[in-house]
Amino acid sequence: MIANIIPLDYFAVIMFFISFFGIITSRNIIKSIIFILLMQTAVIMFWLFLGARYGTAPPIVYELGMLDDLSAFADPMPQALMLTAIIIGVSVTAINITMLNALFRKYKTADWLIISDIARKEESDD
Amino acid sequence: MLTYFVVIPVLIASLLFVFSDNKSARVLAIILQTAFTAFSFYLVLLTRGGDTVTIVGGYIDFLGIYLRIYSVSAVFMLLTSIIFLVVAVYSFNMTDSRTFWFLLFILEAALTGLYFTRDLFNIFVLVEVSTVVVIILLMFNRERRQMFGGMVFLMLNIVAMQFYLLGLAYVYKLTGAFDIAYVSDAIALSDRADLILPYALIMTAIAFKCSIIPLFSFTPKTQLYPAAPCAVAAILSGVQIKTNVYLFIRLQEVFGSFASHDFFLVVGIAASITGVILAISQTNIKMILAYHTMSQVGLIIIGLSSGGYYSQIGGLYHVVSHGIFKSALFLTAGIIYRSYGTCDVYKIKGVLKRLPLTGVVTLAAVLGITGAPLFIGSVSKYFISYDVPTWLMWTTNIISLGTIISFIKYSGILFGKDNGLQGKAVETDKWRIIPTTALGIMCLAGGVFGQQLINFLFDANVSISLSSYLEKSLIFFASLAIGYLIYKYAVKGNQVLKRLANLNFSFKSVCMSMGVFFGLTLIFVGIL
Amino acid sequence: MLEVLLVLWIVLAMLIVFENKAYRIIVYFGIFSLITAVCYLFLGAPDVAMAEAGISAFSTIFFVICIERYYGRKGQTLVEKPISIALGKRFAKIVLPLTFTIGLFVLFIHFMPDTSVSTYLKELYLLRFMEDIGGQNAVNAILAGYRVYDTLFEALILVISVVAVSHMSWSDKTYVSDGRPSDIEGSKMAVLTMRIICPLILLFGAYIIANGHISAGGGFQGGLAVASFFICRYFIYDIYDIPVKKVIKLEELIFINIIVAAIIAIFVGAAAYLPAEFREIYQGAYLLTMNILIGLKVACGFFILFYRYIAIERGEETNLNVNKGVKS
Repeated sequence: MIANIIPLDYFAVIMFFISFFGIITSRNIIKSIIFILLMQTAVIMFWLFLGARYGTAPPIVYELGMLDDLSAFADPMPQALMLTAIIIGVSVTAINITMLNALFRKYKTADWLIISDIARKEESDD
Repeated sequence: MLTYFVVIPVLIASLLFVFSDNKSARVLAIILQTAFTAFSFYLVLLTRGGDTVTIVGGYIDFLGIYLRIYSVSAVFMLLTSIIFLVVAVYSFNMTDSRTFWFLLFILEAALTGLYFTRDLFNIFVLVEVSTVVVIILLMFNRERRQMFGGMVFLMLNIVAMQFYLLGLAYVYKLTGAFDIAYVSDAIALSDRADLILPYALIMTAIAFKCSIIPLFSFTPKTQLYPAAPCAVAAILSGVQIKTNVYLFIRLQEVFGSFASHDFFLVVGIAASITGVILAISQTNIKMILAYHTMSQVGLIIIGLSSGGYYSQIGGLYHVVSHGIFKSALFLTAGIIYRSYGTCDVYKIKGVLKRLPLTGVVTLAAVLGITGAPLFIGSVSKYFISYDVPTWLMWTTNIISLGTIISFIKYSGILFGKDNGLQGKAVETDKWRIIPTTALGIMCLAGGVFGQQLINFLFDANVSISLSSYLEKSLIFFASLAIGYLIYKYAVKGNQVLKRLANLNFSFKSVCMSMGVFFGLTLIFVGIL
Repeated sequence: MLEVLLVLWIVLAMLIVFENKAYRIIVYFGIFSLITAVCYLFLGAPDVAMAEAGISAFSTIFFVICIERYYGRKGQTLVEKPISIALGKRFAKIVLPLTFTIGLFVLFIHFMPDTSVSTYLKELYLLRFMEDIGGQNAVNAILAGYRVYDTLFEALILVISVVAVSHMSWSDKTYVSDGRPSDIEGSKMAVLTMRIICPLILLFGAYIIANGHISAGGGFQGGLAVASFFICRYFIYDIYDIPVKKVIKLEELIFINIIVAAIIAIFVGAAAYLPAEFREIYQGAYLLTMNILIGLKVACGFFILFYRYIAIERGEETNLNVNKGVKS
């Protein structure tokens, strides 16, 4: 019944902006990384809404006769691309967490403000 | 055929990584790099006969990925391969880690892929690859302090690419494909109101990638740290940002008549003026160069967006010239830093005496970047302001004046008495001297043979008239005099500039400015 | 059904926004990813759903490792201060960004194009993929066939991230195969359960990889399952005995094989040189090879990432001991 009020892909857009809000307000690096992941998820969800709606069949064709009604299938293209995007996202996140570990070890905190204050002090010492 | 250009370097890099030891890896890397440069020269010749299109796997009807090379991308590729060759020779003695060579090759393959590709999603993948590799290379020395800058840079890039991906979703919704040729045809037919949102989303990401206002901040920051290898800073500033300029050109082409050139003209002017002011305020030599990249990218975008044929050619040639002199400056800055042990522009003195060859190359590059007659920058700046309206011409002159002021400050390191700061006085490492000298020679040659070079590279037919060139030279000398006076009386010891030098943006505020930029683009394109 | 899930999805995101305790954030994030995976499944994307489920498990583990080391194991640790009640601070922290975001959102909605989705590529892919690439799963056909060029770079970025993580994680020396028992406090019940499930996970991974081209799944999803087998193994046997450097080398070798396979099959187009009656067998063999290679590569990659994070933990402890020894 919600679908009658707002189209479902608006949820993905709402999520995009919630995570944007999270990114510009959170003071903690871990939270920022999580919000970047949420943003990715929102974008991926939006992509999947492009080619499908609730209950469309996955693009797996067991027999040629199924191809008579193409609109019953989900669009395979966004799915393939989003698989790629997911893998890229997780690889980059892995690098990000490694750097976060290094920062943690040096500064003993994950607070944006504290770390950037220390970093600025170190900069001016050079 | 084009596929192999991208895939074979990746294959070779992986083979080097697995099978070679550290010593032979770098020798092989340089040999292969030379071969690659030769190939890209061949590609420039090939594009004389028109475009070449390869379909990966031969799946027609835009099912597969299309690769295409044309004159502009061939020039970008030639520039990239030359600078990579120079950087590879330069870092021959710097590191013997095969991870470094592996990453360098991967980066080159990814950038080459970006020049070739005609597929919008493929652009996303390759941009991610190249960004990640550049960040890892910048932090290759594993200084923990750099981690902060690097991490923020990486996170900002991911956020920007989410904007791109969302915009791409709308492009797919409208057109149903990713191929640039197909998409731009479909966009020409579709409703203007539908295009506003995808355009704003995609351009926000690309503007961030080009590090133009107000999205800059961290691109210079990551280059600052002394432990970041100068060679990598040269690549980031000389090549990688140019790749994003190339993407800017391509994506403006995709949106065709819809693309807003006026908006980017304004943004380019704002970016170059801000960049120049920030560059003047800095005292760290690497930082001056890094902020300068911003202003020069702004100048390139002015040239590309102002609409005239000549200024477009000028903007493209400025990409080449900026790549050459900026990498020359970064590489010589690396030598100077090694010899003096500091990056402070006021502490280094007498480079010409201590490191004569390096000093001469630095001087040539400085003359190039300020647009002195006979040097490479003068030709490109000449064409950028050739057929633009008068007000825009004077704006570019003011930007050049700012450049001159900041480089009067910079060239203070060349003269004066050697104050005997720590370090060795002689240039012994020929692996560092040869590439930088070559770049210095290119700075001069690109200016003297500027017209012929442009006609050869871009397949264009332009000519420099002697009288107007002399006029530009007069303007240069006049602004040199004015610049010196301004520097002497207004810039030195200016408190406002000192405060400006410590300007710092956090991750959150850059994200916020990304949102502001997005909103502004929407309003400008959609409502005005 | 989908609507309810999506509302829950938004609610969880809001919870994360206003939560400031470390472990709760991670738990919410885990639930969030699970809901996302189910939504994907409802949208007819089982491949993406599987990948999302696997990835969410892994990123949750990464975050837990990261947080556990630095915030301790107490659930109540604050990652940031709760929002101040003072009006001025609340204005700067909440109201201003909120207004800004809502403004952007309204602009976004206002300019949202209201067109139907173009189905140009969808129809072409669905009609042609069985003939061009083979198999029955269109997503797999696109990944391994039409857009194998993208897949190469996607595999490459995993290689790069593995290289980067092992380069940057400051524990180059060999804490990797010292054979010490892990310092995870094993709950007996969990270990016992895992011992039973473990072979099933491996079997499941192998099944997904092998059937990637004819049903949902594929190399990537199966590779995640295989990697989680090795992680379970770490928890069960409490031992740390696989040399990571060799696995990195193995991963690179598999990557080279992927490139070679792609060059031979797609870029050169070996199918054109084969007689027509072998074509179907050849296509099946190619897809199977590609899925197995990608699966192995992804398994290696995630295995290395996980072990590397554990090594950061252990590595630093050893480092501290060494430093203490020098000082005393």
